Amino acid sequence: MSSSIFLLLCWLALACLSLGSVLLGQSALVLLLALAKAWLITDGFMELRHGPQRWRWLMLSWALVLAALLGVGLYLRG
Amino acid sequence: MWLFILAELTVFALLILAFSVTQQLKPQLFGQSRQLLDTSTGLAMTLSLLSAGLLAALAQVQVRQGQSRRAAWLLLAAMLVACVYVGIKLGEYRHLLGAGLGIEHNTFFTLYWILTGFHFLHVLLGLLILAWLALTAWRHGYGPERCSGFESGVLYWHMVDLVWVLLFPLVYLIG
Repeated sequence: MSSSIFLLLCWLALACLSLGSVLLGQSALVLLLALAKAWLITDGFMELRHGPQRWRWLMLSWALVLAALLGVGLYLRG
Repeated sequence: MWLFILAELTVFALLILAFSVTQQLKPQLFGQSRQLLDTSTGLAMTLSLLSAGLLAALAQVQVRQGQSRRAAWLLLAAMLVACVYVGIKLGEYRHLLGAGLGIEHNTFFTLYWILTGFHFLHVLLGLLILAWLALTAWRHGYGPERCSGFESGVLYWHMVDLVWVLLFPLVYLIG
């Protein structure tokens, strides 16, 4: 698959996930979709799937830790 | 560049956590205030930023293939698409100010203005960077062997996108 097609597929997935987030509304599942979007940007747009793994994991961890903390907050509030 | 991006992400993480913790303390206020925001506007801004990110990434592919003029056109398109975000955001700010929902209205809007305003400034800086990259690419300043500066500029834009994908559900959706 060419780089351009791969990027287009990433964008399509990002657009679908964004639409899905709005349709899900206030559900905490929105956080999972946000995490998937962060992964697509990091590995797809930023090309970190081929890049330095240390930076890749730092970028992915940033989104993962934040989404987890936001999720814990939502859970605690019930 | 990666260290700079990491530093920026850390600052955004602190702001996002401040928003989230305050939301825990004042859930009703945040729920009611969030209803005053338009979700479809948030979606349109998301699509605008992500589309600009796609065009910037495609421009990077062109630079690596030695097609710097084509890359410049793609960056110009990315800037135009990103300007849709700027226009919508300014419209939203104008609407909120007109409704008396400024930074001092309540805690939600204080954090809303700080968080989204800080991100908005990053988008403006990103636009300037894309303009610089487009100009340099048009003058054949980049090529397959000398594109690290170009890649750093495009990375900055993707960071702005990355922050927005977490900021959007937090501010507009989850309550």
